[in-house]
Amino acid sequence: MAQLALSNLRKSFDAHEVIKGISLDIADGEFVVFVGPSGCGKSTTLRMIAGLEAATSGGIALAGQDVTGLRPSDRGIAMVFQSYALFPHMTVAQNIGFGLKLKRTDRATMAAAVAKVAETLQLMPLLSRYPRELSGGQRQRVAIGRAIIRDPKVFLFDEPLSNLDAALRVQMRLEIARLHQKLRATMVYVTHDQVEAMTLADRIVVFNAGQIEQVGTPMDLYDRPANRFVAGFIGAPAMNFLLLHRAADHVEVLGLGQVHLPPDKASAVEIGIRPEHLAVTEPAPGALQAEIELVERLGAETYAYVRIENRPVSLTLRLPGETILRPGAKVGLQLDWTKAHWFEASGRRI
Amino acid sequence: MANRFSPWPATIFTILSVLAVLFLLPTVGVLLSSVKTTREISMGDLWSMPATLYLGNFAEVLANPSVHTYFANTLLVTLPATAISITLGAMAGYVFAKLPFRGSNTLFLIIVAGMFFPPQVILVPLFRLFNGLGLIDTLYPVIIVHSALGIPICALMMRNFFATVPNALREAAIMEGANEWQVLIQIVLPLSLPALAVLATLQFTWIWNDFLWPLIFTQSDDKRTIMIGIVNLKGQYSVAWGVQGALSLVASLPTLLVFLFFQRFFIKGMTMGAVKG
Amino acid sequence: MEQHNRFWRIALLAAPLAVFGVFVIWPLVSSFYYSVTDWNGFDPDYQFVGLSNFAKIASDRLFLQAAVNTSLWMAAAIVLPTSLGLLLALLLDSRVLGARVFKSIFYLPICLSAVIVGQIWTWIYQPDWGLLNTVITQVSGEKFKYAWLAKPDTALWSVIVAWSWQQTGLAMVIYLAGLTSIPGDLLEVAEIEGATQWQRFREVVLPLLAPSTVVVVALSVVNSLKGFDILYIMTGGGPFNSSETLAMHMYNESFKKYLMGYGAAISVVLFGVAMAIIGLYFRQLRKVDRIYG
Repeated sequence: MAQLALSNLRKSFDAHEVIKGISLDIADGEFVVFVGPSGCGKSTTLRMIAGLEAATSGGIALAGQDVTGLRPSDRGIAMVFQSYALFPHMTVAQNIGFGLKLKRTDRATMAAAVAKVAETLQLMPLLSRYPRELSGGQRQRVAIGRAIIRDPKVFLFDEPLSNLDAALRVQMRLEIARLHQKLRATMVYVTHDQVEAMTLADRIVVFNAGQIEQVGTPMDLYDRPANRFVAGFIGAPAMNFLLLHRAADHVEVLGLGQVHLPPDKASAVEIGIRPEHLAVTEPAPGALQAEIELVERLGAETYAYVRIENRPVSLTLRLPGETILRPGAKVGLQLDWTKAHWFEASGRRI
Repeated sequence: MANRFSPWPATIFTILSVLAVLFLLPTVGVLLSSVKTTREISMGDLWSMPATLYLGNFAEVLANPSVHTYFANTLLVTLPATAISITLGAMAGYVFAKLPFRGSNTLFLIIVAGMFFPPQVILVPLFRLFNGLGLIDTLYPVIIVHSALGIPICALMMRNFFATVPNALREAAIMEGANEWQVLIQIVLPLSLPALAVLATLQFTWIWNDFLWPLIFTQSDDKRTIMIGIVNLKGQYSVAWGVQGALSLVASLPTLLVFLFFQRFFIKGMTMGAVKG
Repeated sequence: MEQHNRFWRIALLAAPLAVFGVFVIWPLVSSFYYSVTDWNGFDPDYQFVGLSNFAKIASDRLFLQAAVNTSLWMAAAIVLPTSLGLLLALLLDSRVLGARVFKSIFYLPICLSAVIVGQIWTWIYQPDWGLLNTVITQVSGEKFKYAWLAKPDTALWSVIVAWSWQQTGLAMVIYLAGLTSIPGDLLEVAEIEGATQWQRFREVVLPLLAPSTVVVVALSVVNSLKGFDILYIMTGGGPFNSSETLAMHMYNESFKKYLMGYGAAISVVLFGVAMAIIGLYFRQLRKVDRIYG
């Protein structure tokens, strides 16, 4: 039995349909990430699960129970907002214990519950502080604490790391991962950052324009993207895409010369190849010639942006860190065709 | 989706309607009185819908030459005082926002405090001053005092607004060779039109409606403003309630019009200046 | 650059400061000066009398009456327009049909002159055909002809009600702005945590409205202190000085009795009260700003 089941969820604002039929099963204890570009519907779907938005049609079931018509507070969910939404006029302890206070829990029970949560998140020394006195990371932990204390069936995270600077983001990402390991709770996490998706998720759900493009483990999505959109969205630097050109008796990739079209890829119109599946060699006659346009050295890796000679084709290559290349240099290009992805006209991968 | 207050729209609408009617009653009363004859009103018949609209009250008011004089005087006071107070306030506000100096905050607070004390406090010295200058029973003291007393609110609001204009704009202009006056007039002011509109509506309304300063500084009938005029004419129209009602409406017309057309500026003004404190 | 700045500071501040200084600050200081003289308003001959004006205040029955009235007005100012304005703002914030029209209706009185407001309400309180007595007559069945403004017991309160009618719109508008500045997330958290409407109001909305409340109360109190025009029109301070406030008392002493020195002394007291309130306001505002700002 799925912990969280979405059946054909649809949402329209006036006449405009934004969520076009989402069906998904999430298992107990799973960490699922909703990822996609801005406006793809991932946050709207999350808010529908929370009950903050009403679904126009379709169903949501939590631990077997249909919660589609229930109020947010009755669904057994807890949500961590992008802005953390901490009450500025309450202390950390009061923020975390807010839900209990509403239920008129006695002070002793409340204090014990808050303390327990605070221990888990190392918030004990901060209990009597106010949100304005806390750092970004601390605030986020308080927001998480407020969610944990509800003992929810599902944790919902709405882009919780977007407000943090880069270094803090990495640190908090790890904390969330550790939290999931410790609590073993079902978590649904929304982000536009595919790095967060890849690193945190048990399974990733890729959203685009109100629909699910693909659901799978991070490596599934990376090695076997279902379509061009997922292939281009997952992975950084992005996959290189090249159009296929059909001549009378052969097929060629513009700029790269002829290719042998495997029989089961007869309907392909486009090829995708990841930057790490390209290599540079000494320029040799007959082999592919390319010119280095720009080089980015990151230390552990080097990205090279090359142009095919005389063609309007640019490729991105991922190379080992020690590679020494100069812009303007002429090199030979080697592709690992076995790792290429073939896409047909509809975008589906074949 | 969560509303802020209540999920019972019907109940709220009913409550609001009742309150709105209660709130409107006074104004409606004036409206009704202005289109009824005095006889009808004194017979106790003010609060019923009129069978016919009696326009004689308005005719009498609009034909009264004193009313014309009062109106003209009020205009002569309100327009200049509005313009001057906004100008001076903008100049001061600009310095406080863009050219602060040590002690400028204290100076600013002192000026803003000027909004808060009862004007009666400076009544006597001002009277003496203008008396000594021989300006009593002219409109000049009224204009001057309104301009001066308008500086705090204008400076406050313009300073708050100017603070939201990026310093980079000013610095870029200065690097191009502009002097501060040019920056103010050509760059900052055009960006501040909403705030200026707010101030104009507030100041116009406040000065037009004022009663105290014209009361103190003008004496002869041909110098009085419309609000004093209403009180004066009470003697002439002592039981002519219909005419008084019409007069009240006519006197309120400018501010009502300003209110209706510039409502959002009004509301913005109250909140902008006030909430920022 | 610094020279440029210095020049323009002076150039731009000169006119405003001059006007403000001459016509506001200097008269203020003069008031303090006159309060220790016995000037009668026109006689160039007057004498320094020390603190005798202030001593007179202490034993002035009318002053005491006026002070009590002013305090009552201030107290009403803190309660009446504030709570009514808050109620209206909450009701209007719910996106009810016609909210804009309602808002205009409640806000309209602000654009009316105090004279007009006084006029309107004088008619409402009119003993023979005023709205109030008409309604009471209808409801009670017998002819009700109480003269609200002419009886010492009710004169002041009648004026305060009229004043509140105008002041409520202002409170409402400030609260409405405050309500929109409450982050939507916080209300959603309350919803998720299962707060009832009342809990949401008491635990989240009201505390977060504290900045607005400070402003509303301060403005109402200050406006009540300044309340002169409407009182002048409706009762003139009567009957028998029963509705006189400090501002009115000051005016009467200065311009009716020509005791300008004494009037100045009263105005000094008035000023002191106003400044105390301002001080409280700024301090409270800073405290609240630190929490929510």
